[in-house]
Amino acid sequence: MKTPRIVSEFRAGLGQGELLIQNCNSCGKPNMWPRYACPHCQSDDLGWAKSSGKGTLHSFCVLRQGAPEGFDGDLPYAIGVVKLDEGVQLLARLEASAPDDWSAYSCDDRVEFVAPGAAEAQRRPCAIFRRAAD
Amino acid sequence: MAENWQLHVTPNADNDPVFVGIGEIPTGKFPDRGFIEALTRVAILALNDAGMVPRDIDTILLIPNLHGAADQADLVFSRMVEELGIHGSAKSSYMVHSGGSTSDNAVRAAHGLIATGHAQNVLVLQCERWGSADLNEMITMLSKNGIPGEWELPTGIQFNAIGAMITRRYMHASGSTPAEMASVCVTLRNWANLNENAMFYTKPLAVEQILASRMVADPLHSYECPPMADGACAFVMTSAGNARRRGISHGVRVAGSGGCVSHYCLSQEADQAVLGWPLAAERAWNQSGWGPHDAHIAEIYDSYAAVTTIALEGIGIAEKGEGARWFAAGNGDPGGKLPMNTNGGLLSAGHTGVGGGTALLVEGIRQLLHRAPSKRQVEDCERAIIGGSGGSYMDAQILLLERTKLGA
Repeated sequence: MKTPRIVSEFRAGLGQGELLIQNCNSCGKPNMWPRYACPHCQSDDLGWAKSSGKGTLHSFCVLRQGAPEGFDGDLPYAIGVVKLDEGVQLLARLEASAPDDWSAYSCDDRVEFVAPGAAEAQRRPCAIFRRAAD
Repeated sequence: MAENWQLHVTPNADNDPVFVGIGEIPTGKFPDRGFIEALTRVAILALNDAGMVPRDIDTILLIPNLHGAADQADLVFSRMVEELGIHGSAKSSYMVHSGGSTSDNAVRAAHGLIATGHAQNVLVLQCERWGSADLNEMITMLSKNGIPGEWELPTGIQFNAIGAMITRRYMHASGSTPAEMASVCVTLRNWANLNENAMFYTKPLAVEQILASRMVADPLHSYECPPMADGACAFVMTSAGNARRRGISHGVRVAGSGGCVSHYCLSQEADQAVLGWPLAAERAWNQSGWGPHDAHIAEIYDSYAAVTTIALEGIGIAEKGEGARWFAAGNGDPGGKLPMNTNGGLLSAGHTGVGGGTALLVEGIRQLLHRAPSKRQVEDCERAIIGGSGGSYMDAQILLLERTKLGA
């Protein structure tokens, strides 16, 4: 199946170093994950806004074993849920503060989006966040 | 929220649906026990327990398996109707599926069918072969369940990661220590040590062992992750009128239920330390007139300790933030204030996929029918809270069950 347009556009944003949030052109509300119709007003007139990339870390984990197929080589890796300042939330990878070390992170930390780089965005098309400077 | 959402059935009226029988075989690793073989055995056990024969059953509701599509197709396309010899007389056979909360929704389906007259005697069947399946295949399959692939698969998320995030948020919100979280698993193990059908019947477990086990997905240690198991169970529901005509003296009725689907993927949950439990509980109390302290036992989905402590708090059994400490104080243990997951739960009886919730439900019915082995039968057990959750903890489902005298 062809990749849906909302997915390919979101991923193209990541490749260009931008975190995009779907924005409804009809009611103006942000949607994440992006939808096929606005869940607030059901409009299909949907566009994109560039996120500030700033938010708080609701929770996270460090996976050390039992990776899904194709992810063994990434172990260990950290995944977290980020609540963006725009009022929407998403699942992302967390950058280690030191090699294989996420001990500096805690829930409710301020975090910021890190541009994954074009090659990494191709390999793992997901957002990456790190702890924001205090 | 002022909702008035009453059941349109009068307690003990002829059309009031009641549970009258259960069947179960041991949970664990049984590679030589076939899928259809296991389903057939639990079907016959449940029918015997209900004082019925296969011909009495007009409707079969199937709980899905997660180990394989071919076995799933056998279920969906009525194989069990033929295996039980009721082809030609059975009215309907179909599957209900909402992951770990399937059994709660299957009860709602059977309840509605019986109360309205679409069904008379309903057999609900479950079998899973997770313990014998290829572990890597199951991990990869589960990393695609309850997760929007196009958005989240690239992160490498899987089920222990989901459990770990909920656990970390719960520990952060409640200030629970690793030892307090581990105590939940110990309570479950204490119950499993009284259940011959449990995977860990003969193996005791201590907090120190859990904290010394390897870290799998921080903050979850390996002994805090559910053991994938083979298992099968079944139950029979009929109407109070049918039960009376059959000379059955006691059954178990549904006093009410409540539910809330709070998200599809965990990343969209507003508060991972709360989930849908408060609204589900409010709806359940409204429908039944019960409160959180009216039950004698609780059987609540426990794929990870935090899944259960969050539910306990949302239901109001434990104070907000005190769920893990409630377990650490022994409140859920054998002889405790409110016996919890008296079969050992998913964490110690074994995680049989969708069947983990079914096994907890079957244990609740067993306790209310006063048919548990004496060493774990809770005395004067009249009312039970059953709780389930499916997918990536997308929903909170509560069934309130009570023992009823049918007057036969």
